[in-house]
Amino acid sequence: MIIILEKKEFSEAVARVARFAERRSATLPVLAGIAIVAGDDGIKLRATNLETGIDFKVVGTIKEPGVVALPASTLREITGSFSGTGTITLEHGGETVIISSPAGRSQLKTLSYEDFPTLPFPEASAAKFTLPGSALRTLVLTVAPCASPSTVRPELGSVLLSAEGGVVKAVATDSFRLAEKKMPIAGTITPFSILIPAKNAIDIVQTLPDTDVEVLVDEHQCAFSWPNGIVTTRLVTVPYPDYAQIIPKAFVSEATLLRKDFEAALKRTSVFSDSFQKVRIGFVGEDKRVVFSARNSDIGESSEGVPASVTGESIELSFNHRYLSAPIPLITTENLSLSSAGIGRPLVIKGIGDNTLLYLVMPMNQ
Amino acid sequence: MNRSDPHELWEYVLTQIELSISPANFNTWFRESSIVKIEDGIVFIGVPSLFFKDWYMKKFNMLLLKILRGVSHEYRNIEYMIVKDVTRKPKENRRAVPTPELPLNDFYINKSDNLNPRYTFDSFVVGSFNELAFNAAQAAITRPGITYNPLFIYGDTGRGKTHLIQAIGNQYKKLHPTRKVFYLTSEKFGTDYTDSLQSGTANRFKEKYRQYDLLIMDDVQFLSKKDKISEELFHLFNFLYDNNKQILFSSDRAPVAIPDIADRLRGRLASGMTVDIGEPDTQSRVAIVRKKLATNGVVLADESVEYIASSVAGSIRELEGVINSIVCHTQVRGVPPDLAEVRQSLRSFSRPTKTISVKHVVSKVAEFYGIEEESIYEKTRRREVVRPRQVIMYILREDFSVSYPTIGSKLGGRDHTTVIHSCEKVKREVAEDAELAKEIQDIRTLLV
Repeated sequence: MIIILEKKEFSEAVARVARFAERRSATLPVLAGIAIVAGDDGIKLRATNLETGIDFKVVGTIKEPGVVALPASTLREITGSFSGTGTITLEHGGETVIISSPAGRSQLKTLSYEDFPTLPFPEASAAKFTLPGSALRTLVLTVAPCASPSTVRPELGSVLLSAEGGVVKAVATDSFRLAEKKMPIAGTITPFSILIPAKNAIDIVQTLPDTDVEVLVDEHQCAFSWPNGIVTTRLVTVPYPDYAQIIPKAFVSEATLLRKDFEAALKRTSVFSDSFQKVRIGFVGEDKRVVFSARNSDIGESSEGVPASVTGESIELSFNHRYLSAPIPLITTENLSLSSAGIGRPLVIKGIGDNTLLYLVMPMNQ
Repeated sequence: MNRSDPHELWEYVLTQIELSISPANFNTWFRESSIVKIEDGIVFIGVPSLFFKDWYMKKFNMLLLKILRGVSHEYRNIEYMIVKDVTRKPKENRRAVPTPELPLNDFYINKSDNLNPRYTFDSFVVGSFNELAFNAAQAAITRPGITYNPLFIYGDTGRGKTHLIQAIGNQYKKLHPTRKVFYLTSEKFGTDYTDSLQSGTANRFKEKYRQYDLLIMDDVQFLSKKDKISEELFHLFNFLYDNNKQILFSSDRAPVAIPDIADRLRGRLASGMTVDIGEPDTQSRVAIVRKKLATNGVVLADESVEYIASSVAGSIRELEGVINSIVCHTQVRGVPPDLAEVRQSLRSFSRPTKTISVKHVVSKVAEFYGIEEESIYEKTRRREVVRPRQVIMYILREDFSVSYPTIGSKLGGRDHTTVIHSCEKVKREVAEDAELAKEIQDIRTLLV
């Protein structure tokens, strides 16, 4: 195989594809590699960790077709250090690939291509729809941090993507908090609902282009394709918890306050949180304040009131401060609302005037 | 092999496959698969995802079919299905144990003065047993070289002598940063001296030790029988003493009781202040246990503390060992042990109390000396019987702490004074008679 590529083009493609190579070392060595396929379809880079996979086209000249697998991390280091413009030549011979530019050449050992798995694509696609890549990225990146890092319950480690009535939404929960992001889509869209493992979803949306992406879904597999490439992931097939029923319908106490006040007060108070990271939030109706307090027997204690418009009864709840600070960067409006459904029931955080994001967090036992 | 049991069949298939593909391939592709069911000669293999299904079809289908046909021809075909996530084994989730890192500075010893900074007065527990020594130490610090010079501290092993004298050194260093302190053991002094003789730098040796404002020498009892080194210490002592430099000694016995050292040195050792550290009483032990636990940040119930203090007899060093194990327990489990757990862990520290019958000892000793067992109990005073009988009394007393009257009554109704006399006699003779000592050693091994 001999191919000639633009430096910039190649290094961008490698950076994109390397994300999908296996990072653990205990598996098949070739899974930690990128396969370069030069054939009738042009030049393609492939990588997979058996959870997700990518097939990505790059522009270049094929002098001699062929296939080779190269270690992803080494290749990324090499291409990441390219400077200036110009072309490079990849020449495969025997057990090595020679990467040469006018300035120099390096020789890289190959991995055995025979073991490189094929990328599976949905067989009989049950659903097929088109979405802008940028919308998918916003949806997934907003909610994915709320997914559980554990694999004990696969549904909680996943992001739910679904569409109904012209609105696409993404949901993730780890059973302590839940985030839901909605986004209206122009044009009609067939209703669908898929569960993508959160880790895979993050990798995929960061690779997608901003333009329209075609999504193909079957029972176990899902693929996102656009003119330059295609990524695929396995899907989780367990039923997702019926989260709509845990979102409270009525609230006993609601407070509206400035986002920056909330952020600053929470940051200061969390310094005094204990080993459970506990911070108490009190809604004080008569003072028009939301009081943040925390106590740590080793450090000390702190209490701070933030001006707010409070309706409903006075109530005090305890939270893990990390769960409270997580939605702050996601809220784009100046004001936010805290709505409590009572002791031992969830607190809902929303941006005022923004109905697309809903964040729900369970209080700690008092 | 049960052909209809999917699990057994899969185990067999795996052993066959493992032989024909590389370990990396095997681990990657086969670890999470299984046979789900066997129906009408079709084997359904469950795989985790479409990646696996495609690859199985492409690469392993023929191999699997060959292996299955080898088992029985009733297997006609293989089908692959993606099993739902619930049936996959969840990965073990390991519990992260917070491990506070061990403090390294514990082992840090200052090279210029040899003092271990761990030993300070802050961590020193003062009780009635060491009050006198503590006050003498304070006096030696406030008016070094004048009040008590030399200060001689003695006491049994593990009573805190080294802690006290090193704490004096550390405190002195803090109060007088410009003055020179040096801590060493008498053994180090000895090797230094012999080294200097060998390399012909005896003068430098003398100079080195004469420069210090406070010299601390631990375990001087080891100077016994070392005449040359004692003499050197004698000269050093005179020099330092005449220049009003403070000298500190520690030993496991009083100066008068140190055998085989020159009288002139012995006199000088005892010429200043001689204090002993006694056995710590229970209150002091409780205080020590509390202090050690507190420095390690462990809080234990009062009853547990008292239990430890009362049940670990002997030196403070043993007490420290017990406390260390409790601290370790707390760090691993995250909670301090309760009384029951303390009891449990103490069991491994207490010496095994051997219970042994007098008859057993008698028979073993009689056997050892080749005499009739009966003759021990008789009122005979034949030489060949008297010696074994005395040895039996000695062993019962020393090794098994049987009371004198009990020994007497068990060995044919003898008076307790007879027993005392016998024990004392053997004890004396053992010190001089190597052969008797050897005999008793041999008997002891027989009794274990």
